[in-house]
Parts: sequence; structure tokens; C-alpha cells
Amino acid sequence: METISEQLTDALGIMILGMSLVFVFLGILILGMKLVAKKYAPVPQEKATVNARQPAVTKPAVSPLMAAVIASAIHQHRQKA
Amino acid sequence: MEGLIAFWSESGIANFTPGQLLMMGVGCLLLFLAIAKGFEPLLLLPIGFGAILANIPNGGFTDEGGLLYFAYHVGIETGIFPLLIFMGVGALTDFGALIANPKMLLLGAAAQFGIFATLLGAIGLNLVPGFEFSMQDAAAIAIIGGADGPTAIFLASKLAPDLLGAIAVAAYSYMALVPLIQPPIMRLLTTESERKIKMEQLREVSKKEKIIFPLMVLGLTILFLPAATPLVGMFCLGNLMRESGVVDRLSNTAQNELINIVTIFLGLAVGSKLSADQFLQIETLGILVLGAVAFGIGTATGVLMAKLMSKLSGGKINPLLGAAGVSAVPMAARVVNKVGLEANNQNFLLMHAMGPNVAGVLGSAVAAGVLLAVLG
Repeated sequence: METISEQLTDALGIMILGMSLVFVFLGILILGMKLVAKKYAPVPQEKATVNARQPAVTKPAVSPLMAAVIASAIHQHRQKA
Repeated sequence: MEGLIAFWSESGIANFTPGQLLMMGVGCLLLFLAIAKGFEPLLLLPIGFGAILANIPNGGFTDEGGLLYFAYHVGIETGIFPLLIFMGVGALTDFGALIANPKMLLLGAAAQFGIFATLLGAIGLNLVPGFEFSMQDAAAIAIIGGADGPTAIFLASKLAPDLLGAIAVAAYSYMALVPLIQPPIMRLLTTESERKIKMEQLREVSKKEKIIFPLMVLGLTILFLPAATPLVGMFCLGNLMRESGVVDRLSNTAQNELINIVTIFLGLAVGSKLSADQFLQIETLGILVLGAVAFGIGTATGVLMAKLMSKLSGGKINPLLGAAGVSAVPMAARVVNKVGLEANNQNFLLMHAMGPNVAGVLGSAVAAGVLLAVLG
């Protein structure tokens, strides 16, 4: 009986040690992954901002002035014909 | 006439022992589960057939010089087969979901409690007359709770080779039974509204992150837990071959041809351990019971951890994800998806569940490393 209770205490020790080691190990891994994520930040986010800017720049550039120019050009062209 | 008698005395009918017939029945049951029920057919079919071959009287498959004898000694006793499988699993695993959400590693860690709780349970079982598990035996049994076949076989071949057959069969049958064992526990520990929680879409992951990940895991293992480097090292090699993109041929071989070849022989060799004299013992019953308990506890602690994280994050994490913290890739993740869909038919959790699922593979490899370091 004594040996079993000794074994149980040993097993309990291994349990506490094991669980804390698993958590510490994976915890360090989480930190490492976050560092890597900071340095090599996902590319698609940058792309998304570039894409968002481009239409914002091109739309106003086309609409007010150019539209008027094109419209008058078409008008002239039709009159000639 | 003499020739006929000699023929008869060599025949199977004249030489069967009841134990052999019973174990052939077990082999047939495994074949039935694999073929008719579709439970882990890739493993249960060769294991079941191996069990039948190993129990043929005068067959000589498992005697010195027989095919199964060599398959076992070359592949399993040395630990090579489970390690090759682990390389293939590494090449098959996409860590993207985990890299996108590293916190999921905590779920993979929490689910390993099943392993260590069962260690206590196996030693506690020694109080029952007829059971005499050493600490090494108990550790090899406990790893069933990790729900990772190759890890269980690797650890058992190192710590308790005598129990290997029962442990491997228990590990693989419970992995096949994941869809039956897990859902009741998951429903018991979560509320309907928790199961309905939808999760944000995962961010994209860059190729560099995916390449650095296996190297980082390997580095940490080298620093803190060299005992786990056989398992983790082969796993990381497979994953690096996949993610680097420069050795597609090797990666394809590791995740297809090689893992298939090894699976055939691993299954046969494990099946060969299902011979009557080794398997029909009271310990086997204890191992089967302890394995189921280990599995249940692992699922439960995973879900509880996910509940805690859900509370702390203000309800952004679906607690069902915790159940995927046991390895059993990708079965556990599919079960999470299925139970999530039952609660809300628009809630697809599969990709989110792959994170804790692959974290579970790492977690159980780390747990195996701890047990090897302490008891090996």
C-alpha cells in the first residue's frame, strides 16, 4: 500500500510538472509566433490599402474635368460628322 | 493413411487454441469496423488482418524469421515507423490556421491534461488486484489520451513494449470513435448560446511565417526538450519540406507514397502484437478503460479552457474549439464543425478548429517528450 501511495505522489508530481512544461513550452511558442508575425506581417493587408487608395485617386480624377473634356470632344466629333 | 494423419496434425483445425480463435474474432471485428463502418479503415484494416495472421497456428508469421516478426523489430521496436509517419503528417499539416491565431496553442496544451490525469488513474488502478502497472507502463497508457497514434506507438515502444499491442489498438480505436465520444462531452459542458458563437475570419499568413514556424518549433524543442526531438524533428522536417516549396517531390512522397507504405507495415506489425498470449490479459481491459477515460478528460479540459478563453475574450471564441485540442487530425476538427453546425447552421468552425487541432499534435508530442525525459 505504501508503495502505491508513493507512486501516486510521484504520478501527481509528474502531472504538475508535465502540464506546466507543456503550457510553458507552447506559451513561449506563442510569444515567438507573435514576434515573427510582427516582423513578417501578412502582405495582403498592404495590398488591400493600396487597392483602396487607387480607386479613390482615379475616380475623382476621371469625373469632373476629364468627363467634360471627353463629352465636348464627342460633341464636336458628332457635329463634324 | 499416415500421410493423412500428418496432414491433419498440421492443419489449422487441429491446432487452434480458444485464445487464437478469440483473437481472430477480434481481428474480424476490426475488419468489420474498417470496411462496414468506415472507422479509420487505413489503420484498422491492416491491424485487423495482422491480428488474424498473427494467430494462425503453425503459420509462423510472428516467429523469428517471419514477415511480421521483422516488420515489428525493424519498424516498431526501433521507433522508426511512427517517426516516418510523423514526417508524413508534418508534410500533410497546414499550420496556417494556427499561425493566424497563436492563442489556440493554449487549447492544444489544455487538452493534454487527459494524458497526465490518466497517468494518475493507471497508478491508481494498481489498487485493484490483478493490475501491476509500473510508472513506465502508466505513462505509455496515459499517452492514449493524446489521441495521436504515432506518438502513442513511439512512447509505448520506448517505455512499455509489452503493452504496445493493446495501447496501439486502444489509441487507434478511440481515434476512430472520436465522432461518438466527443459530442456528448462537448454538449454537456457548453450552453446552446456558446455553441452558436461565430468567429472572426482568420487573417492571411505569409509564406515566410509558415517557413519560420517549423524551424522555431524545432529550435524550442532543442533548447528545452531534447527528448521530444525525434518526434518533433521529423514532424518539422516534413512540414518544412511542404512549406519551403523547393522540394515538392520529397514533400509529395512523404505525404503520399512513403506514409502509405509505412502505414501498411505499421498496421500489420501492430496487429501482430494482438496474439492471444499477449493480448488476452486483464491489463488489456484496464488499458481500454483508461484510454477512454484519458480521451474523455482531454476533451473536457480542452472545452473548459476554451470556455475560459471565451469569457476572457468577451465571447469571441467558440468553446467547442477546445475539443479539437486533442490531436486526432482532422477528425476532431470535423466533429467540432459538425456540433457547431447543429447549433447554428451558418456557423462553419472547421478552419478555426484546425488551429487547436494541429496545436494538439504539438502538445501531445511535447507531453510525450516530458514523459520520456522523466521516465525514459
